Amino acid sequence: MIRVQTQPFDVAVEHQALLDRRTDIGAVVCFTGMVRDFNERPEVLALSLEHYPGMTERSLAAIVDEAEQRWALQGVRLIHRVGHLEPGDPIVLVAVASAHRRDAFEACDFIMDYLKTRAPFWKKEHTASGHYWVGERDSDKHDAKRWETS
Amino acid sequence: MSLTHLNSRGEAHMVDVGDKTETRREAVAGGRIHMRPQTLALLAEGGLPKGDVLATARIAGIQAAKRTPELIPLCHALALSKVSVDFTLNEADASVDVTATCRLTGRTGVEMEALTAVSVACLTLYDMCKAVDKDMEIGAIRLLSKTGGKSGEYRREHGDHDGLPSASDQAQGVAPIVTGKCFEGHIGVALRHEQSCIHVKCLAELRERLGISDIDIPYDSLPAPNVAGLKSALEEQDPRFALLGEQRILCAVNQVMSTEETPLTEGDEVAFFPPVTGG
Repeated sequence: MIRVQTQPFDVAVEHQALLDRRTDIGAVVCFTGMVRDFNERPEVLALSLEHYPGMTERSLAAIVDEAEQRWALQGVRLIHRVGHLEPGDPIVLVAVASAHRRDAFEACDFIMDYLKTRAPFWKKEHTASGHYWVGERDSDKHDAKRWETS
Repeated sequence: MSLTHLNSRGEAHMVDVGDKTETRREAVAGGRIHMRPQTLALLAEGGLPKGDVLATARIAGIQAAKRTPELIPLCHALALSKVSVDFTLNEADASVDVTATCRLTGRTGVEMEALTAVSVACLTLYDMCKAVDKDMEIGAIRLLSKTGGKSGEYRREHGDHDGLPSASDQAQGVAPIVTGKCFEGHIGVALRHEQSCIHVKCLAELRERLGISDIDIPYDSLPAPNVAGLKSALEEQDPRFALLGEQRILCAVNQVMSTEETPLTEGDEVAFFPPVTGG
């Protein structure tokens, strides 16, 4: 399940949806990304998240497909919000279910690393001292590279 | 108005298309399959006994488009240049929308191929899910749009799919690239009428630096039929596009990441954008 939406999401609901009437799941790992009030500059007041409709859904689906090929997963729910967001708002959810915890931990980590470097989303930060587009981070590229050799 | 597949004696015959001129033709067809919410949830999770339902139905639809003349008696065998099948899951009314796009440069339209692709993709969805749901219902199979050829442009006015925007919706400006509230940089979306153009989009920071969101470039103006050629043609038109030469600027052709050498054909959508910063 992949969704790109402006509305907030409820982690508990998504967690429950993964488990729905199933007793073969041994582990669920949920990652929630939040909007911070400091980033490239302090006092971030708000964030505008832009994306490329169509390509966004396709690239997220490709990332989840790859995770499902690499690990034995029993379900993935991926939600990314777009539009206007404020500090404290949840921005992204990756929830992964598997029989054993290692698969769920690693697949969740992998999906986030690839999402950050491959899915067409862009953040613009609005601060007390002006607006600017957030730059890419070398650490994100480095994190994504970890999965290339394995 | 007459039926072209019937001759003067009312007998079925195949239309001679030898004298028609070759034009770029595209048809988009849609259909919808309704199911139980639980079935849709299983489909979305990949939890169905026959495995990856959507990937299988996509291949089935593409294969079906290529075999249309074997199924529909008076259809010509066509060398399709593109077939794509896309799915939109609607959780609200427990249905899957299927959209098929067929394209070629030739003498006859491709709406039968698009309709066949949608029909077979729907049937495959049924087959893949029937173990858990026998009440599924296939419906609303229809032509959504058709371009090129003598009969001109056709676009269905109502009853298009709900939910996620399709590529054709975006082209008509139904879905903005920027979603939600934005403080700066409101953009327009170009209409897709010119058939012999490359449709260029500039996104996010690049759009604001250039002050350009959408521009159509005549395909004939490209010095080479690839992304590098498009960049040259853009720079020729407006020196600001020299920005596209920056190493950090990325490019997607028809929504797939691409390089300088990626070949282009008429009607392609090419997006330029800075490195992504989601998550």
